[in-house]
Amino acid sequence: MKRSERVDRGINVRSEGIYAISSLKEILYLAGPRMALVLILFLLPVVLDSVPYWKRVVNIMLVYSLLAISFDFLANYVGLVCLGCSFFVGVGGYTSAILNSYLHVPIYLSIPLASVLGAVICTLLLLPCLWLRGVYFAIITLMYPLLLTRVIEALNIFGGTNGISGIESLPGNDLENYIIIVVMLAILFGLRRFVNQDIGLVMRGVKDNDQSIRASGINVTWIKTQAVFIASLIGCFAGSYLVHLYIWAGLSLFALDFSIIPIAAVTIGGSGFLIGAVVGSFILVPLSEFLRFFGSFRIVIYCVVLTLFIVFKSEGIMMYISRRYHQFERWVDV
Amino acid sequence: MLKASDLMVFYENMLALNNVTIDIKSNSITGIFGSNSAGKSTLMHMISGIILDMQKKEEMKGGERISSYGTIDFEHQEISKLKPHERARMGIILCPERRRIFAESSVMENLKIGAFLSTSAETKENLDYVLHIFPHLTKHLHRQGGFLSGGEQQMLAIGRAIMAKPKLLLLDEPLLGLSPLYQKIVVTAIKEIRNSKKIAIIITEQYARPIIPIIEYGYIIENGSSVLEGTGNELLDNPDVKSAYFGV
Repeated sequence: MKRSERVDRGINVRSEGIYAISSLKEILYLAGPRMALVLILFLLPVVLDSVPYWKRVVNIMLVYSLLAISFDFLANYVGLVCLGCSFFVGVGGYTSAILNSYLHVPIYLSIPLASVLGAVICTLLLLPCLWLRGVYFAIITLMYPLLLTRVIEALNIFGGTNGISGIESLPGNDLENYIIIVVMLAILFGLRRFVNQDIGLVMRGVKDNDQSIRASGINVTWIKTQAVFIASLIGCFAGSYLVHLYIWAGLSLFALDFSIIPIAAVTIGGSGFLIGAVVGSFILVPLSEFLRFFGSFRIVIYCVVLTLFIVFKSEGIMMYISRRYHQFERWVDV
Repeated sequence: MLKASDLMVFYENMLALNNVTIDIKSNSITGIFGSNSAGKSTLMHMISGIILDMQKKEEMKGGERISSYGTIDFEHQEISKLKPHERARMGIILCPERRRIFAESSVMENLKIGAFLSTSAETKENLDYVLHIFPHLTKHLHRQGGFLSGGEQQMLAIGRAIMAKPKLLLLDEPLLGLSPLYQKIVVTAIKEIRNSKKIAIIITEQYARPIIPIIEYGYIIENGSSVLEGTGNELLDNPDVKSAYFGV
Protein backbone atom coordinates (compact mmCIF):
# COMPACT_ATOMS: atom_id res chain seq x y z
CA MET A 1 0.00 0.00 0.00
CA LYS A 2 1.25 3.46 -0.87
CA ARG A 3 0.49 6.74 0.77
CA SER A 4 1.45 10.20 -0.36
CA GLU A 5 3.31 12.03 2.34
CA ARG A 6 3.83 15.76 2.77
CA VAL A 7 7.31 16.74 3.89
CA ASP A 8 8.73 20.19 4.59
CA ARG A 9 11.34 21.24 2.10
CA GLY A 10 14.86 21.27 3.48
CA ILE A 11 15.22 24.95 2.80
CA ASN A 12 12.01 25.63 4.71
CA VAL A 13 13.38 23.90 7.79
CA ARG A 14 16.78 25.58 7.44
CA SER A 15 15.33 29.05 7.05
CA GLU A 16 13.40 28.84 10.30
CA GLY A 17 16.27 29.65 12.63
CA ILE A 18 19.42 31.72 12.48
CA TYR A 19 20.41 29.87 9.28
CA ALA A 20 17.87 32.00 7.47
CA ILE A 21 20.63 34.49 6.76
CA SER A 22 23.34 31.91 6.14
CA SER A 23 23.26 32.15 2.37
CA LEU A 24 21.63 34.04 -0.45
CA LYS A 25 19.45 31.05 -1.27
CA GLU A 26 17.79 31.03 2.15
CA ILE A 27 17.34 34.80 2.13
CA LEU A 28 15.75 34.61 -1.30
CA TYR A 29 13.52 31.75 -0.21
CA LEU A 30 12.13 33.85 2.63
CA ALA A 31 12.11 37.28 1.05
CA GLY A 32 11.41 36.21 -2.53
CA PRO A 33 7.61 36.00 -2.41
CA ARG A 34 7.34 39.26 -0.47
CA MET A 35 9.72 41.05 -2.83
CA ALA A 36 7.79 39.65 -5.79
CA LEU A 37 4.55 41.15 -4.50
CA VAL A 38 6.16 44.54 -3.88
CA LEU A 39 7.88 44.51 -7.28
CA ILE A 40 4.76 43.52 -9.19
CA LEU A 41 2.70 46.21 -7.51
CA PHE A 42 5.27 48.92 -8.18
CA LEU A 43 5.64 47.85 -11.80
CA LEU A 44 1.90 47.67 -12.50
CA PRO A 45 1.40 51.43 -13.10
CA VAL A 46 4.46 51.48 -15.38
CA VAL A 47 3.32 48.49 -17.40
CA LEU A 48 -0.25 49.75 -17.70
CA ASP A 49 0.87 53.27 -18.56
CA SER A 50 -0.73 53.14 -22.01
CA VAL A 51 -4.12 51.95 -20.71
CA PRO A 52 -5.33 54.49 -18.11
CA TYR A 53 -8.58 52.57 -17.68
CA TRP A 54 -6.74 49.56 -16.28
CA LYS A 55 -4.67 51.81 -14.07
CA ARG A 56 -7.97 52.85 -12.55
CA VAL A 57 -8.91 49.20 -12.14
CA VAL A 58 -5.65 48.62 -10.27
CA ASN A 59 -6.61 51.41 -7.86
CA ILE A 60 -10.06 49.93 -7.27
CA MET A 61 -8.49 46.51 -6.86
CA LEU A 62 -6.20 47.85 -4.13
CA VAL A 63 -9.12 49.58 -2.40
CA TYR A 64 -10.97 46.28 -2.33
CA SER A 65 -7.91 44.47 -1.05
CA LEU A 66 -7.70 46.98 1.83
CA LEU A 67 -11.32 46.23 2.67
CA ALA A 68 -10.68 42.51 2.38
CA ILE A 69 -7.70 42.81 4.74
CA SER A 70 -9.89 44.64 7.23
CA PHE A 71 -12.60 41.97 6.97
CA ASP A 72 -10.06 39.15 7.26
CA PHE A 73 -8.45 40.78 10.29
CA LEU A 74 -11.76 41.23 12.11
CA ALA A 75 -13.23 37.86 11.19
CA ASN A 76 -10.27 35.53 11.50
CA TYR A 77 -8.10 37.22 14.10
CA VAL A 78 -10.69 38.72 16.45
CA GLY A 79 -13.75 36.64 15.66
CA LEU A 80 -16.02 39.56 14.76
CA VAL A 81 -17.76 38.87 11.46
CA CYS A 82 -18.31 42.30 9.98
CA LEU A 83 -20.72 42.31 7.04
CA GLY A 84 -20.54 46.05 6.65
CA CYS A 85 -17.23 47.10 5.13
CA SER A 86 -19.31 49.63 3.19
CA PHE A 87 -20.09 51.26 6.53
CA PHE A 88 -16.39 52.06 6.97
CA VAL A 89 -16.10 53.18 3.33
CA GLY A 90 -19.14 55.42 3.61
CA VAL A 91 -18.18 57.05 6.90
CA GLY A 92 -14.57 57.60 5.78
CA GLY A 93 -15.67 58.88 2.39
CA TYR A 94 -18.26 61.31 3.71
CA THR A 95 -15.93 62.59 6.45
CA SER A 96 -13.25 63.27 3.87
CA ALA A 97 -15.72 64.96 1.53
CA ILE A 98 -17.07 67.19 4.30
CA LEU A 99 -13.57 68.12 5.45
CA ASN A 100 -12.36 68.87 1.96
CA SER A 101 -15.40 70.38 0.30
CA TYR A 102 -17.17 72.22 3.14
CA LEU A 103 -14.27 73.02 5.49
CA HIS A 104 -11.60 73.42 2.77
CA VAL A 105 -9.06 71.21 4.46
CA PRO A 106 -6.29 70.46 1.91
CA ILE A 107 -6.19 66.95 0.49
CA TYR A 108 -2.94 65.87 2.18
CA LEU A 109 -4.61 66.56 5.53
CA SER A 110 -8.14 65.49 4.72
CA ILE A 111 -7.30 61.89 3.87
CA PRO A 112 -5.40 61.09 7.10
CA LEU A 113 -7.78 63.19 9.19
CA ALA A 114 -10.81 61.51 7.65
CA SER A 115 -9.30 58.09 8.24
CA VAL A 116 -8.78 58.74 11.94
CA LEU A 117 -11.99 60.71 12.51
CA GLY A 118 -14.01 58.19 10.51
CA ALA A 119 -12.48 55.33 12.48
CA VAL A 120 -13.41 57.05 15.74
CA ILE A 121 -16.99 57.56 14.53
CA CYS A 122 -17.27 53.93 13.35
CA THR A 123 -15.85 52.60 16.60
CA LEU A 124 -18.18 54.75 18.69
CA LEU A 125 -21.19 53.64 16.65
CA LEU A 126 -20.20 49.98 16.95
CA LEU A 127 -19.29 50.26 20.63
CA PRO A 128 -22.77 49.36 21.99
CA CYS A 129 -22.81 46.07 20.11
CA LEU A 130 -19.23 45.01 20.79
CA TRP A 131 -20.16 42.66 23.58
CA LEU A 132 -22.43 40.86 21.14
CA ARG A 133 -21.01 37.92 19.31
CA GLY A 134 -21.54 36.03 16.11
CA VAL A 135 -24.62 36.80 14.13
CA TYR A 136 -25.70 39.81 16.22
CA PHE A 137 -22.58 41.79 15.46
CA ALA A 138 -22.82 40.76 11.81
CA ILE A 139 -26.44 41.93 11.52
CA ILE A 140 -25.73 45.28 13.14
CA THR A 141 -22.77 45.97 10.89
CA LEU A 142 -24.91 45.02 7.91
CA MET A 143 -27.65 47.37 9.07
CA TYR A 144 -25.59 50.52 9.72
CA PRO A 145 -24.82 51.35 6.06
CA LEU A 146 -28.51 50.97 5.18
CA LEU A 147 -29.43 53.15 8.14
CA LEU A 148 -26.97 55.92 7.25
CA THR A 149 -28.13 55.89 3.62
CA ARG A 150 -31.71 56.46 4.70
CA VAL A 151 -30.69 59.16 7.19
CA ILE A 152 -28.78 61.10 4.54
CA GLU A 153 -31.61 60.64 2.05
CA ALA A 154 -34.43 61.57 4.42
CA LEU A 155 -32.81 64.57 6.11
CA ASN A 156 -31.31 65.72 2.82
CA ILE A 157 -28.01 66.49 4.55
CA PHE A 158 -24.55 66.26 2.90
CA GLY A 159 -26.03 66.84 -0.52
CA GLY A 160 -28.79 64.28 -0.07
CA THR A 161 -29.17 61.98 -3.07
CA ASN A 162 -26.98 64.25 -5.22
CA GLY A 163 -23.93 63.70 -3.03
CA ILE A 164 -21.08 66.08 -2.38
CA SER A 165 -19.14 67.33 -5.39
CA GLY A 166 -16.31 69.80 -5.80
CA ILE A 167 -13.78 67.66 -4.00
CA GLU A 168 -10.08 68.11 -4.70
CA SER A 169 -8.74 65.34 -6.90
CA LEU A 170 -5.61 63.32 -6.22
CA PRO A 171 -2.54 65.02 -7.68
CA GLY A 172 -1.09 63.45 -10.80
CA ASN A 173 -1.78 60.10 -12.36
CA ASP A 174 1.22 58.26 -10.96
CA LEU A 175 0.93 59.57 -7.43
CA GLU A 176 -2.70 58.46 -7.35
CA ASN A 177 -1.47 54.92 -8.00
CA TYR A 178 1.52 54.92 -5.72
CA ILE A 179 -0.29 56.35 -2.68
CA ILE A 180 -2.63 53.39 -2.50
CA ILE A 181 0.11 50.87 -3.39
CA VAL A 182 2.39 52.09 -0.61
CA VAL A 183 -0.40 52.31 1.95
CA MET A 184 -1.72 48.86 1.05
CA LEU A 185 1.74 47.29 1.40
CA ALA A 186 2.39 49.13 4.66
CA ILE A 187 -0.92 47.98 6.12
CA LEU A 188 -0.48 44.42 4.88
CA PHE A 189 3.01 43.94 6.28
CA GLY A 190 2.28 46.02 9.39
CA LEU A 191 -0.81 44.03 10.23
CA ARG A 192 0.94 40.72 9.64
CA ARG A 193 3.50 41.83 12.20
CA PHE A 194 0.85 43.22 14.52
CA VAL A 195 -1.12 39.97 14.80
CA ASN A 196 1.97 38.23 16.13
CA GLN A 197 2.66 40.85 18.81
CA ASP A 198 1.30 40.37 22.33
CA ILE A 199 -1.87 42.33 21.65
CA GLY A 200 -2.41 40.40 18.42
CA LEU A 201 -2.09 37.12 20.29
CA VAL A 202 -4.70 38.29 22.80
CA MET A 203 -7.02 39.18 19.92
CA ARG A 204 -6.64 35.71 18.46
CA GLY A 205 -7.36 34.37 21.92
CA VAL A 206 -10.59 36.37 22.02
CA LYS A 207 -11.65 34.58 18.87
CA ASP A 208 -10.81 31.14 20.25
CA ASN A 209 -12.18 31.40 23.76
CA ASP A 210 -13.20 34.75 25.20
CA GLN A 211 -14.02 33.28 28.61
CA SER A 212 -10.40 32.24 29.14
CA ILE A 213 -9.26 35.72 28.09
CA ARG A 214 -11.64 37.24 30.66
CA ALA A 215 -10.32 34.82 33.25
CA SER A 216 -6.82 36.09 32.53
CA GLY A 217 -7.90 39.53 33.69
CA ILE A 218 -8.14 41.12 30.26
CA ASN A 219 -11.05 43.35 29.28
CA VAL A 220 -12.42 41.68 26.17
CA THR A 221 -14.55 44.63 25.09
CA TRP A 222 -11.54 46.95 25.20
CA ILE A 223 -9.54 44.52 23.04
CA LYS A 224 -12.40 44.32 20.58
CA THR A 225 -12.67 48.12 20.54
CA GLN A 226 -9.03 48.39 19.54
CA ALA A 227 -9.49 45.77 16.83
CA VAL A 228 -12.55 47.52 15.43
CA PHE A 229 -10.67 50.82 15.46
CA ILE A 230 -7.83 49.31 13.41
CA ALA A 231 -10.22 47.68 10.95
CA SER A 232 -12.30 50.82 10.52
CA LEU A 233 -9.14 52.91 10.12
CA ILE A 234 -8.24 50.76 7.13
CA GLY A 235 -11.79 50.90 5.77
CA CYS A 236 -12.10 54.66 6.26
CA PHE A 237 -8.82 55.26 4.49
CA ALA A 238 -10.13 53.23 1.55
CA GLY A 239 -13.33 55.30 1.55
CA SER A 240 -11.60 58.64 1.74
CA TYR A 241 -9.19 57.64 -1.03
CA LEU A 242 -12.13 56.61 -3.21
CA VAL A 243 -13.85 59.95 -2.67
CA HIS A 244 -10.78 61.84 -3.82
CA LEU A 245 -10.37 59.45 -6.74
CA TYR A 246 -13.94 59.99 -7.96
CA ILE A 247 -14.00 63.71 -6.89
CA TRP A 248 -17.46 62.96 -5.60
CA ALA A 249 -19.04 61.45 -2.50
CA GLY A 250 -22.49 59.92 -2.71
CA LEU A 251 -24.78 57.28 -1.36
CA SER A 252 -23.11 54.65 -3.55
CA LEU A 253 -20.29 54.62 -0.99
CA PHE A 254 -22.65 52.67 1.23
CA ALA A 255 -23.36 50.18 -1.59
CA LEU A 256 -23.51 46.49 -0.80
CA ASP A 257 -20.62 45.85 -3.23
CA PHE A 258 -18.14 47.19 -0.71
CA SER A 259 -19.38 44.68 1.85
CA ILE A 260 -19.72 41.60 -0.32
CA ILE A 261 -16.73 41.63 -2.67
CA PRO A 262 -14.19 41.75 0.20
CA ILE A 263 -15.85 38.72 1.81
CA ALA A 264 -15.79 36.85 -1.48
CA ALA A 265 -12.15 37.83 -1.95
CA VAL A 266 -11.22 36.46 1.46
CA THR A 267 -13.08 33.23 0.71
CA ILE A 268 -11.25 32.75 -2.57
CA GLY A 269 -7.82 33.83 -1.40
CA GLY A 270 -7.88 31.88 1.83
CA SER A 271 -9.00 33.19 5.18
CA GLY A 272 -6.72 33.91 8.08
CA PHE A 273 -3.65 34.94 6.09
CA LEU A 274 -4.25 38.63 5.27
CA ILE A 275 -2.24 38.07 2.09
CA GLY A 276 -5.02 35.72 1.00
CA ALA A 277 -7.42 38.65 1.10
CA VAL A 278 -5.13 40.64 -1.18
CA VAL A 279 -4.69 37.79 -3.65
CA GLY A 280 -8.44 37.19 -3.65
CA SER A 281 -9.24 40.76 -4.62
CA PHE A 282 -6.46 40.74 -7.22
CA ILE A 283 -8.37 37.92 -8.86
CA LEU A 284 -11.96 39.02 -8.31
CA VAL A 285 -11.82 42.69 -9.29
CA PRO A 286 -10.04 42.25 -12.66
CA LEU A 287 -12.27 39.22 -13.31
CA SER A 288 -15.35 41.32 -12.79
CA GLU A 289 -13.91 43.93 -15.20
CA PHE A 290 -13.24 41.29 -17.85
CA LEU A 291 -16.76 40.01 -17.45
CA ARG A 292 -18.22 43.40 -18.39
CA PHE A 293 -17.92 42.00 -21.90
CA PHE A 294 -20.86 39.70 -21.08
CA GLY A 295 -23.12 42.58 -20.09
CA SER A 296 -25.81 41.75 -17.60
CA PHE A 297 -24.80 38.08 -17.72
CA ARG A 298 -21.74 39.14 -15.74
CA ILE A 299 -23.16 38.50 -12.30
CA VAL A 300 -24.20 34.97 -13.25
CA ILE A 301 -20.71 34.00 -14.36
CA TYR A 302 -19.26 35.74 -11.34
CA CYS A 303 -21.48 33.73 -9.01
CA VAL A 304 -20.69 30.46 -10.78
CA VAL A 305 -16.95 31.09 -10.47
CA LEU A 306 -17.36 31.90 -6.79
CA THR A 307 -19.44 28.79 -6.12
CA LEU A 308 -16.98 26.54 -7.95
CA PHE A 309 -14.15 27.99 -5.90
CA ILE A 310 -15.95 27.45 -2.61
CA VAL A 311 -16.92 23.89 -3.47
CA PHE A 312 -13.64 22.68 -4.96
CA LYS A 313 -10.94 24.84 -3.41
CA SER A 314 -12.49 25.90 -0.14
CA GLU A 315 -9.09 26.07 1.57
CA GLY A 316 -8.27 29.15 -0.54
CA ILE A 317 -5.63 29.83 -3.14
CA MET A 318 -3.01 31.13 -0.72
CA MET A 319 -3.26 28.05 1.49
CA TYR A 320 -2.65 25.88 -1.55
CA ILE A 321 0.22 27.97 -2.89
CA SER A 322 2.01 28.27 0.44
CA ARG A 323 1.76 24.53 1.01
CA ARG A 324 3.27 23.88 -2.42
CA TYR A 325 6.00 26.38 -1.65
CA HIS A 326 6.98 25.02 1.74
CA GLN A 327 6.35 21.31 1.30
CA PHE A 328 6.67 18.58 -1.27
CA GLU A 329 4.88 15.29 -1.63
CA ARG A 330 6.27 11.82 -2.09
CA TRP A 331 4.88 8.32 -2.13
CA VAL A 332 5.87 6.05 0.73
CA ASP A 333 4.95 2.55 1.77
CA VAL A 334 2.41 2.30 4.51
CA MET B 1 -20.15 -9.33 15.34
CA LEU B 2 -17.56 -6.71 14.45
CA LYS B 3 -14.08 -7.42 13.26
CA ALA B 4 -11.78 -4.56 12.47
CA SER B 5 -8.47 -5.65 10.96
CA ASP B 6 -5.21 -3.87 10.33
CA LEU B 7 -6.53 -0.42 11.12
CA MET B 8 -4.03 2.30 10.34
CA VAL B 9 -4.59 6.01 10.67
CA PHE B 10 -2.19 8.81 9.82
CA TYR B 11 -2.75 12.38 10.92
CA GLU B 12 -0.59 13.95 8.24
CA ASN B 13 2.67 12.07 8.88
CA MET B 14 1.93 11.04 12.45
CA LEU B 15 0.92 7.44 12.94
CA ALA B 16 -2.08 7.38 15.29
CA LEU B 17 -3.16 3.75 14.87
CA ASN B 18 -0.74 1.05 13.85
CA ASN B 19 -2.10 -2.29 12.67
CA VAL B 20 -4.76 -2.61 15.32
CA THR B 21 -7.04 -5.59 15.03
CA ILE B 22 -10.01 -6.01 17.32
CA ASP B 23 -12.74 -8.56 17.41
CA ILE B 24 -16.02 -7.80 19.16
CA LYS B 25 -18.42 -10.60 20.04
CA SER B 26 -22.13 -9.97 20.16
CA ASN B 27 -23.71 -9.38 23.56
CA SER B 28 -20.39 -8.60 25.20
CA ILE B 29 -18.64 -5.69 26.80
CA THR B 30 -15.16 -4.96 25.50
CA GLY B 31 -12.78 -2.58 27.19
CA ILE B 32 -10.09 -0.62 25.40
CA PHE B 33 -7.50 0.89 27.70
CA GLY B 34 -4.65 3.24 27.00
CA SER B 35 -3.15 6.49 28.15
CA ASN B 36 -3.66 9.87 26.52
CA SER B 37 -2.65 9.90 22.86
CA ALA B 38 -2.69 6.10 22.72
CA GLY B 39 -5.24 6.15 19.91
CA LYS B 40 -8.42 5.15 21.74
CA SER B 41 -10.55 7.95 20.36
CA THR B 42 -9.11 7.48 16.88
CA LEU B 43 -10.13 3.83 17.08
CA MET B 44 -13.67 4.87 18.08
CA HIS B 45 -13.75 7.38 15.22
CA MET B 46 -12.60 4.67 12.84
CA ILE B 47 -15.34 2.25 13.88
CA SER B 48 -18.10 4.83 13.88
CA GLY B 49 -16.88 6.43 10.65
CA ILE B 50 -16.48 9.92 12.11
CA ILE B 51 -12.92 9.83 10.78
CA LEU B 52 -14.29 10.17 7.24
CA ASP B 53 -16.10 13.33 8.30
CA MET B 54 -12.98 14.73 9.98
CA GLN B 55 -11.01 13.87 6.86
CA LYS B 56 -13.42 15.84 4.68
CA LYS B 57 -13.48 18.85 6.99
CA GLU B 58 -9.70 19.04 7.27
CA GLU B 59 -9.45 18.78 3.52
CA MET B 60 -11.93 21.63 3.07
CA LYS B 61 -9.97 23.98 5.25
CA GLY B 62 -6.62 22.82 3.96
CA GLY B 63 -5.42 21.46 7.28
CA GLU B 64 -3.92 18.11 8.16
CA ARG B 65 -4.44 15.25 5.80
CA ILE B 66 -5.94 12.22 7.49
CA SER B 67 -5.46 8.88 5.79
CA SER B 68 -6.97 5.66 7.05
CA TYR B 69 -6.53 2.03 6.03
CA GLY B 70 -7.92 -1.29 7.10
CA THR B 71 -11.12 -3.27 6.87
CA ILE B 72 -14.07 -3.24 9.22
CA ASP B 73 -16.47 -6.11 9.02
CA PHE B 74 -19.80 -5.60 10.75
CA GLU B 75 -22.31 -8.46 10.66
CA HIS B 76 -20.63 -9.89 7.55
CA GLN B 77 -20.63 -6.62 5.70
CA GLU B 78 -17.59 -4.50 4.84
CA ILE B 79 -18.33 -1.03 6.18
CA SER B 80 -15.02 0.83 6.12
CA LYS B 81 -16.16 2.98 3.19
CA LEU B 82 -19.63 3.73 4.59
CA LYS B 83 -20.46 7.22 5.84
CA PRO B 84 -21.06 7.74 9.58
CA HIS B 85 -24.84 8.15 9.20
CA GLU B 86 -25.08 4.92 7.22
CA ARG B 87 -23.18 3.10 9.94
CA ALA B 88 -25.49 4.62 12.55
CA ARG B 89 -28.45 3.27 10.59
CA MET B 90 -26.85 -0.17 10.74
CA GLY B 91 -26.67 0.14 14.52
CA ILE B 92 -23.17 1.42 15.31
CA ILE B 93 -23.82 4.29 17.69
CA LEU B 94 -21.07 6.45 19.15
CA CYS B 95 -21.43 8.20 22.47
CA PRO B 96 -18.64 10.74 21.99
CA GLU B 97 -15.90 11.78 24.36
CA ARG B 98 -16.75 14.82 26.48
CA ARG B 99 -20.43 14.00 25.97
CA ARG B 100 -21.19 16.58 23.27
CA ILE B 101 -24.81 16.90 24.32
CA PHE B 102 -26.98 19.58 22.71
CA ALA B 103 -26.53 22.25 25.35
CA GLU B 104 -29.48 24.43 24.35
CA SER B 105 -32.03 21.64 24.05
CA SER B 106 -33.83 20.20 27.04
CA VAL B 107 -33.10 16.70 28.29
CA MET B 108 -36.30 15.43 26.66
CA GLU B 109 -35.37 17.03 23.35
CA ASN B 110 -31.86 15.60 23.52
CA LEU B 111 -33.31 12.12 23.95
CA LYS B 112 -35.79 12.66 21.13
CA ILE B 113 -33.02 13.83 18.79
CA GLY B 114 -31.23 10.57 19.58
CA ALA B 115 -34.38 8.66 18.64
CA PHE B 116 -34.47 10.06 15.12
CA LEU B 117 -34.06 6.59 13.60
CA SER B 118 -36.77 4.87 15.70
CA THR B 119 -40.51 4.59 15.26
CA SER B 120 -42.67 6.37 17.81
CA ALA B 121 -43.51 3.14 19.64
CA GLU B 122 -39.83 2.30 19.96
CA THR B 123 -39.11 5.83 21.09
CA LYS B 124 -41.65 5.57 23.88
CA GLU B 125 -40.33 2.22 24.98
CA ASN B 126 -36.71 3.36 24.87
CA LEU B 127 -37.52 6.58 26.69
CA ASP B 128 -39.09 4.63 29.53
CA TYR B 129 -36.07 2.38 29.52
CA VAL B 130 -33.57 5.26 29.70
CA LEU B 131 -35.49 6.86 32.56
CA HIS B 132 -35.59 3.47 34.26
CA ILE B 133 -31.82 2.99 34.22
CA PHE B 134 -31.05 6.67 34.85
CA PRO B 135 -33.74 7.82 37.31
CA HIS B 136 -31.67 11.00 37.89
CA LEU B 137 -32.82 12.31 34.54
CA THR B 138 -36.51 12.08 35.39
CA LYS B 139 -36.63 15.21 37.47
CA HIS B 140 -34.62 17.28 34.96
CA LEU B 141 -36.56 16.32 31.82
CA HIS B 142 -37.36 19.92 30.91
CA ARG B 143 -34.07 21.53 31.91
CA GLN B 144 -31.58 22.64 29.31
CA GLY B 145 -28.88 20.04 28.71
CA GLY B 146 -26.10 22.56 29.28
CA PHE B 147 -27.23 23.22 32.85
CA LEU B 148 -26.95 19.61 34.00
CA SER B 149 -24.01 18.52 36.12
CA GLY B 150 -21.21 16.57 34.49
CA GLY B 151 -22.49 13.23 35.72
CA GLU B 152 -26.02 13.89 34.57
CA GLN B 153 -24.74 15.04 31.20
CA GLN B 154 -22.91 11.74 30.86
CA MET B 155 -26.08 9.82 31.68
CA LEU B 156 -27.93 11.91 29.13
CA ALA B 157 -25.28 11.20 26.49
CA ILE B 158 -25.51 7.46 27.09
CA GLY B 159 -29.31 7.71 27.13
CA ARG B 160 -29.27 9.58 23.84
CA ALA B 161 -27.11 6.85 22.30
CA ILE B 162 -29.51 4.15 23.53
CA MET B 163 -32.45 5.97 21.98
CA ALA B 164 -30.85 5.33 18.58
CA LYS B 165 -31.34 1.55 18.94
CA PRO B 166 -27.68 0.51 18.91
CA LYS B 167 -26.53 -2.98 18.09
CA LEU B 168 -22.99 -1.91 18.89
CA LEU B 169 -22.63 0.91 21.37
CA LEU B 170 -19.32 2.78 21.45
CA LEU B 171 -18.70 4.61 24.70
CA ASP B 172 -15.72 6.92 24.44
CA GLU B 173 -14.40 7.66 27.94
CA PRO B 174 -17.78 7.53 29.69
CA LEU B 175 -16.21 8.04 33.12
CA LEU B 176 -14.31 11.20 32.19
CA GLY B 177 -14.49 13.66 35.07
CA LEU B 178 -17.03 11.75 37.13
CA SER B 179 -16.92 11.30 40.88
CA PRO B 180 -16.48 7.72 42.16
CA LEU B 181 -20.18 7.62 43.07
CA TYR B 182 -21.30 8.62 39.59
CA GLN B 183 -18.73 6.29 38.06
CA LYS B 184 -20.38 3.45 39.94
CA ILE B 185 -23.85 4.45 38.76
CA VAL B 186 -22.72 4.68 35.13
CA VAL B 187 -20.81 1.40 35.25
CA THR B 188 -23.79 -0.42 36.77
CA ALA B 189 -26.04 1.08 34.15
CA ILE B 190 -23.74 -0.04 31.32
CA LYS B 191 -23.86 -3.59 32.61
CA GLU B 192 -27.62 -3.38 32.95
CA ILE B 193 -27.93 -2.12 29.35
CA ARG B 194 -25.92 -5.05 28.04
CA ASN B 195 -27.95 -7.56 30.03
CA SER B 196 -31.38 -6.31 29.05
CA LYS B 197 -30.78 -5.04 25.49
CA LYS B 198 -28.39 -7.85 24.48
CA ILE B 199 -26.11 -5.50 22.59
CA ALA B 200 -22.35 -5.31 22.21
CA ILE B 201 -20.63 -2.44 23.97
CA ILE B 202 -17.12 -1.07 23.59
CA ILE B 203 -15.78 1.14 26.37
CA THR B 204 -12.57 3.11 26.19
CA GLU B 205 -11.03 4.40 29.38
CA GLN B 206 -7.68 5.50 30.71
CA TYR B 207 -8.09 4.12 34.19
CA ALA B 208 -9.22 0.52 33.95
CA ARG B 209 -10.13 -0.29 37.53
CA PRO B 210 -13.83 0.74 37.55
CA ILE B 211 -14.47 -0.93 34.20
CA ILE B 212 -12.58 -4.20 34.58
CA PRO B 213 -15.27 -6.06 36.62
CA ILE B 214 -17.85 -5.74 33.87
CA ILE B 215 -15.80 -6.47 30.75
CA GLU B 216 -15.60 -9.82 29.02
CA TYR B 217 -12.55 -8.96 26.97
CA GLY B 218 -10.07 -6.14 26.90
CA TYR B 219 -7.39 -4.58 24.72
CA ILE B 220 -4.53 -2.40 25.81
CA ILE B 221 -3.33 0.18 23.33
CA GLU B 222 -0.03 1.99 23.55
CA ASN B 223 1.22 4.55 21.03
CA GLY B 224 -1.26 3.39 18.46
CA SER B 225 -0.58 -0.34 18.65
CA SER B 226 -2.48 -2.98 20.49
CA VAL B 227 0.08 -4.43 22.91
CA LEU B 228 -1.98 -6.83 24.95
CA GLU B 229 -5.37 -8.44 24.86
CA GLY B 230 -7.23 -10.87 27.04
CA THR B 231 -10.07 -11.35 29.46
CA GLY B 232 -10.33 -9.07 32.45
CA ASN B 233 -8.44 -11.44 34.73
CA GLU B 234 -5.71 -12.06 32.20
CA LEU B 235 -5.12 -8.33 31.97
CA LEU B 236 -5.12 -8.05 35.74
CA ASP B 237 -2.44 -10.72 36.03
CA ASN B 238 0.08 -8.80 33.96
CA PRO B 239 2.34 -6.82 36.33
CA ASP B 240 3.07 -4.03 33.84
CA VAL B 241 -0.59 -3.52 33.14
CA LYS B 242 -1.33 -3.54 36.83
CA SER B 243 0.98 -0.65 37.54
CA ALA B 244 0.11 1.34 34.44
CA TYR B 245 -3.67 1.04 34.23
CA PHE B 246 -4.87 -0.06 37.63
CA GLY B 247 -2.70 2.06 39.86
CA VAL B 248 -1.65 -0.89 41.98
